[in-house]
Parts: sequence; C-alpha cells; structure tokens
Amino acid sequence: MNIGAICRWLDDTQLAAAIREWNGLFAIIETFHVIALVTVVGSIFLIDLRLMGLASRKHSVRDMIGEILPYTWTGFVVAAISGALMFTSKATQYYENFPFRMKMLLLAIAGINMLAFHLLTFRSVAKWDHETSMSAKFAGGLSVILWIGIVTFGRWIGFTILPI
Amino acid sequence: MLHNLVEWLLSTRLSQTIQEVEWIVPTLQTIHILFIAVVLSSVSMIILRVLGLVGRSWTIYETAERFLPWIWTALIALVITGALLLTGEPKRSLLNPVFQLKMALLAAMIFITAAFQRSIYGNKGAWDQPALPKPAARLIGGVSLLIWVCIIIAGRWIAYVSVP
Repeated sequence: MNIGAICRWLDDTQLAAAIREWNGLFAIIETFHVIALVTVVGSIFLIDLRLMGLASRKHSVRDMIGEILPYTWTGFVVAAISGALMFTSKATQYYENFPFRMKMLLLAIAGINMLAFHLLTFRSVAKWDHETSMSAKFAGGLSVILWIGIVTFGRWIGFTILPI
Repeated sequence: MLHNLVEWLLSTRLSQTIQEVEWIVPTLQTIHILFIAVVLSSVSMIILRVLGLVGRSWTIYETAERFLPWIWTALIALVITGALLLTGEPKRSLLNPVFQLKMALLAAMIFITAAFQRSIYGNKGAWDQPALPKPAARLIGGVSLLIWVCIIIAGRWIAYVSVP
C-alpha cells in the first residue's frame, strides 16, 4: 500500500483544496479538534487517576468508567473526524512531519493499551473495583504518559507545519 | 496604559529568553492545554451533576468537594503558564481583542465558581434538596459550561485574529 500515493491523491481532492482555501475553514475544524481533544484527555485523566488509586478512591471504577466513557468516545470521534479533515488538506506534508508521525504512533499504542485493559484487566474488575490491581494501575499510568505525549507532539505539529 | 505594559514586558530579560529559546513556548502551551483538560473535566463533572446527568449516586456537595480543589489548582497553573506566554508575546496577547474577551469571560467564570463554592460550602445540604436543583441553578450551570468552552475557543483564536 503506497501511502505516499494516497497522500498525494488526498492533496488533490476538492475537499483538500476547500479546506486550504476557504477563509477560516481550517481554523473552525481545528477549533472542534481542540474542544474534542481536551474532552478526551480530561475524561481519560479522570479514569486514569482512579485506576492508579490517586483520586476518587471512594468511587467504584465500574461506575466511573460507565458514566465517563461515553463522553470520551464522543470526543474521540469528533477529534478523529476533525483530525482527518485537517490531514486531508495537506496530507503529504503531515505524513512526512516527524511530530505527526510520533503522535499517530502514540495514539496507536494508547489504543492498544485501552484494548488490553478492556479485554483483559477489566474482566476481573469485580475483584478490584475498590482497591485497584497492579495491572489496572499500570494501564492508568501508561495512559497518562501516552496522552501527555500525544498532546505534546500534537502541539509541536503546529510549529513545524508550514502555514496554509 | 496597556501599551506601556507591553513595552515594559518586551524589555525584560524573561521576555527575550522566552522568545529566543525555541522550546519554551511550545512547552508552555502544552502544559497550558493539559491543565485546560483538567479544568474542563472538573467543571463538567460538577455541572453535569447539577444537571442530574452523571454521578447521581453522589450528592452535589460531595461532587463539588471532590472537584473544586482540582479546578483552583489547574487555574493557578493556567495563570502561571498564561502569564509566561503573555510575557513572551505581550503584543499578541494584551493588545488582542480576542485575548481581552477571553480574560473577561475567565474573570466572570472565576467569580461564578467562587460564588458557587461559597454557596455550597456555606450550606451543606441546600444544593441536594430537592433531588434536582432549581431550574435557575441548572440554567446557570449549563451557561457556565458554554462559557468555559467559549474561553477555550477564544484561546485558540488569539492566533487567528490579528492585533488592530
């Protein structure tokens, strides 16, 4: 699969041109991205601190995850769509951008971390719903580090991509 | 008067260092974004509880007690990183109408948060009788959440609106 060719194809689409050329469109898309990302990161930190046993210790992990995750997912979907739109506008440039690549890598690892947590660790939550297990603590701690990295590289993209 | 402040800030060693050392502004912005996530999630947990949408197994008092400290701590971190960012680029911030709007909205929200805190700590049970707070309280909660989001949007749009 030739990603370079796909990026060039994206760059040449009408959609990409519109986002590059219509005044303020990129900024509006980016604004949705910013709101969505702080929602994702903020809600994930709530859960991570709970998993690490550092906050909300009186609250059940199951209850917190059940109530908060819908907001996380909604935020993530908006962030992914807005991110994809921004990417499309200058696909080749973003694809070749170092912090962008690092951000995508960390997102993938964060996704695997979440999947592993849900499929494995969370299975036994009844046993550690109040005093979290070591693997739950690890998942929470790793998540915090990854998301700090994602935000860091994300902001760095803005300083290294040429303006439209 | 604002212009005098801008000129004075530009003349300081701190301002010059922030402008010259490349990684300082991106790092400050990243820390700023992470604490925005903390404020938004903390504020949301309280407001969504007031609206009766999350955490109904806990009283509003307990929810406020749990999240208000995080709000104030994060706001302090935001003011510190914000002040440093401002010191590095005083024209871009102090003389920018979008920045001025952000500060006005922020002042309003700090006032409302402090008023809420005084009200809820002053009368432990009041906010939890009856089961759902008065419509006025819920309306102020909803509007507050909207204003917090507007503050975040204004923060991003400082970069897009030029100083007159």
